[in-house]
Parts: sequence; C-alpha cells; structure tokens
Amino acid sequence: MTGSSLTVEGVSKRFGGLLAVNKVSLRAEAGKILSVIGPNGAGKTTFFNLLTGIYEPDEGQVLFGNRNITGKKSDSIASLGIGRTFQNIRLFSGMTVLENVLVGHHNRIRTNYASAIFRWGGFGKEERRAEARAHELLRYLQLDERADDLAANLSYGDQRRLEIARALALEPTLLLLDEPAAGMNPQETEDLKHTILALKADLGLTIVLIEHDMAMVMTLSDRITVLEYGSVIADGLPEEVKANPRVIEAYLGKGGANA
Amino acid sequence: MDTLLLLLPQVLFDGLLLGFVYAMIALGYTMVYGVLELINFAHSEIFMIGSVVGIEVFRSLTGYVPNPYILLVVAVILGGLISGLTAVGVERLAYRPLRKRGTKNRLVPLITAFGVSFVLQDLVKLLEGLWHNEFFLSMKNVGELEQSVTLFGIFIQYKSFILIGVSLVMLGALTWLVGRTRLGLAIRSVAQDPSTAGLMGIDPEKIISRTFLIGGALGGVAGVLFALQYTTVSPYVGFLPGIKAFTAAVLGGIGNIPGAVVGGLVLGEIETLAGTFLPVLTGGAFGTEYKDVLAFLILILLLLFRPQGLLGQIVKEKV
Repeated sequence: MTGSSLTVEGVSKRFGGLLAVNKVSLRAEAGKILSVIGPNGAGKTTFFNLLTGIYEPDEGQVLFGNRNITGKKSDSIASLGIGRTFQNIRLFSGMTVLENVLVGHHNRIRTNYASAIFRWGGFGKEERRAEARAHELLRYLQLDERADDLAANLSYGDQRRLEIARALALEPTLLLLDEPAAGMNPQETEDLKHTILALKADLGLTIVLIEHDMAMVMTLSDRITVLEYGSVIADGLPEEVKANPRVIEAYLGKGGANA
Repeated sequence: MDTLLLLLPQVLFDGLLLGFVYAMIALGYTMVYGVLELINFAHSEIFMIGSVVGIEVFRSLTGYVPNPYILLVVAVILGGLISGLTAVGVERLAYRPLRKRGTKNRLVPLITAFGVSFVLQDLVKLLEGLWHNEFFLSMKNVGELEQSVTLFGIFIQYKSFILIGVSLVMLGALTWLVGRTRLGLAIRSVAQDPSTAGLMGIDPEKIISRTFLIGGALGGVAGVLFALQYTTVSPYVGFLPGIKAFTAAVLGGIGNIPGAVVGGLVLGEIETLAGTFLPVLTGGAFGTEYKDVLAFLILILLLLFRPQGLLGQIVKEKV
C-alpha cells in the first residue's frame, strides 16, 4: 500500500444561508500527515463529509490522486480507497468487533454471485481469508482479544481504535481521521499517536487528521491547514502555523503560544 | 374435556403448518422493514403470485411430468424466482424513485405499497383471465403427496411434511445467509446505518434490492406451499395471510428475523387453537369464525405490555 495524494480546489458548501465551507483549497501529499484544525464550527467535519460523498460540493473539485471524485457516491469513493472515522463514533453497535471490520472489508472480496452459489468451497475460502485479514488488523490495533464481543461493549478508546481498524479494512490509500483522540485518556492518546505514526511508516498511508489536541497535532503533522468560519486562514508547516498571529488569535487563543 | 385433549395434538400440528406459512411471509416484511423502515404491504401480493405460480406449475405440467416431487421442486424454484424478481421490480419501479426524490414523509411509500398491491392483484387477474378465463384456481390432485400417515394420533399428509421440511430448510438457509455470509453482513450493516455502510464501500441501493429479492423469494415459496396445502387460490388470496404475517412480524418484533419466525408460529397456533376450541368452550356461542378476533385480541394485549414485540428491542433513535 502506498498513499495517494488529495487535492481540494475551491470547494464550497452552503446550507441555506450558512456558508459552511467557503472556497477551501488544500493538498495532502502522498504518504504525509496533514492536520486540519480550527475552532468548533469551523466546518471541519462538513469538509470531511464533502470529501467522502455524504454531501456534494456546491462548487470546486476534489482530486484523489489524479482522479476527480467530486460528487461521487460514498460507496464508490470508499471503494476507490478513502477510509474514514467519525467524530461521534459510528460503529455498527449490534455487530461484533470482528464483523465491524469485515464490513469494511466488503468490497475487497471479489466473489461474484455465480461463484457464491455454485462454488461453495471457493466462497468459504474467500470468507476465511477475509476473516484472517480482519484478525490481523485487530491485532495491529490491539483489539484481537475482543474480536467476538459486541462493538457496543468496548470502552470509548477501544471503539475509536475499532473505527480505525474498520477503515483500514477498506485497504485505503487515504485515511481521514475525525478527532480520533476525543474522549481518550492521556495514555490512550499516547498509544494512538504511535498507531498513527505506524500507519504512516508501515503502510505509507496519506492521513488527513482533524484534531483538537494541539500537542498531538504538533507532533504528528507534516503540514497543517487552519479553518475558521469555513475558510482557510493559514496553511504551512507546524512551526509556521504555530507562529502565525492570525491562527493564535482565531484558534489557539491565549494559551496558544505554549502549545 | 377428554375429547378436547384428544384433539390437541392434531390442532397443534395444524397450527404449526399455518405458523410456518406466516413465518415465511413475515420474514419478507421484517427484512424490508429492517433496511428501509417501510412496511411493504405489497408483500402479500408477492406471496399471492407464488401461490398462483405453484398452482399453474401443477396444472400445466402434470400431463408431461407425472412425478409430483419433480413438479414440486419446479414449483418451489419458479415460485421463489418469479416472486423474488417481482419484488425487486416493485422496489425498482415504485419505491426507489420515491427515495431518489428524497421523500421524507413515511406515508408516501406506504400508500404506494397499497397501490402496488392493487396493481399486482389486477395484473394477475388479467393474466389468469386471458389464460383460463377464470381466476379462482384449484390445485390439481397431487397424487402421492396427498397420501397420509397417522403419527401419535395426528393425521399428517405427505405434503404437510413437505411444507414443514421446505420451511425449515429456507429458514436455516436464511439464518446462514444473514449471519454468516458477506451479503448478510452487508444487509445487517445497511439495516443499522445505511450512511456509514456506504462509507465502508457498500452500495445501500444494491443491498436493498437484494433484500427485496430474498424476502420476495421466501414469500413466493410460502405461496407455493400454501397452494399445495390449502388448494384454492385467487388474486385476492394474499390479503388475509399477508395481514396476519405482518401481524406476526410485529408480534415477534419488527425488523427482527428470529422474531418473525416466532411471531408466525405463535400466531398460527393461537389462530388454530381458537378456531377449534372457541366453539366448544363457549357452547357454540362463539363459532370458529371468531378465531381471527381472538388472535388479534391477544396480539393487542401482548403489544400493550410488550410494545417492542416478543424478541424486539426498544428502538433507539438513529443519530
């Protein structure tokens, strides 16, 4: 797996009178970590929803690698290799941990109906391979011993990591993480940091990260883009963004200089 | 009282037969509700089409294929296939366009379902009218399948064994499909959260279509077995079994697959027990014709105390 770049050009989304995302342009380089930060309500999650086909942009375009994915349906975008997690956890709570990962794996198994009906053996083999792969992912995220538990019964931190495992099952080349550390204790956050760095190092994934934990953003990011009221107000290396007076004013506030 | 007890095994067995028919139809209601939160009232007509196909297979092919078992296999396959494809067609032509338009009002697809119901009834009536000049159809004598044995004082026809056997196989296959296969996993994910399922690369529209196919096929097979067991059908035969199977699905907990089976069996038994014992116990004051009243009365009482149904869970509002 190697990462794909993401290029966003002048994307806007309007809800009634509210311009939630305003001509946003940014670029995530292949294999790098780009953080998108900004105060609450800056339009970060809406921006992810535009990338993943939940909303269609009113204007602008989204390029995944060289491919224009603007206005495509979520399932096609996911199948192309964009995996994501959610700010408010959206696991299939009635399914087991393993099944959640298998759902992510859905489109990676190529069995057609004829083989499903007429070649039971082959079908079973595909499914067993998918299960083995799912266990592998769960081990990677230290969740394998919980494989047969209901997703709803996991702790908050484990649920967040399960969302990452599920997104990885898509075999993505771009991973969108929406506040993955929200609600985690310091130890869990520390582990998560290592996991994300490992994803970048081991799998070469391109990662776009929305996060409020500034320490985490500063350690992980190769570049940072800052949104306020739906518009990009700054973009650059972590040190540049940290020193940008407009960012300090808009987002980091008084404590920003120490972050 | 002794005679009543003597009757009991037979009554319970007859209730089981009816219960399996209800259960198989109820699965179609509950599966579609699971993925769309739509009560597909046209499903009773999908069942009806299966029953008509079943009778037509026996009527037109008995001359060529004397072996009733082969005919039965043909009838089950054709009934399941035609009903399943009809259900897919109904979804494509009637429900999907409404979803595409983003209709939020739940009543709109519901009313559409009623409309589809009438259209399918009249379509079958028209076709049967053109073909046979009549649309009340009777099952041919199916020879060997009419034979019977008496076990533990229960009179059982071979075709009743077949009804139970085929039902069990279909229920087993469905359980395996939903619980153990990739398609089943996709169906469950769409039922829980279609938008997230889409973000995991699953096309909800495709899965909805497959769900209609599976539910429709089960309804069609139920129709074939119903025709075999109860021998007369018409374009209107779907109404009562359909409404009762819907009831069974609610009784078991709508959206819950094992619930639909339990609900179907319970309703079949209540109805048969009531039909037999009501006239006896009330000295003839209430005849067998009150069996439906009693069945629904029990349903109302049950839902008063357990509104989520026997196996259903309290539905949490989706975020």
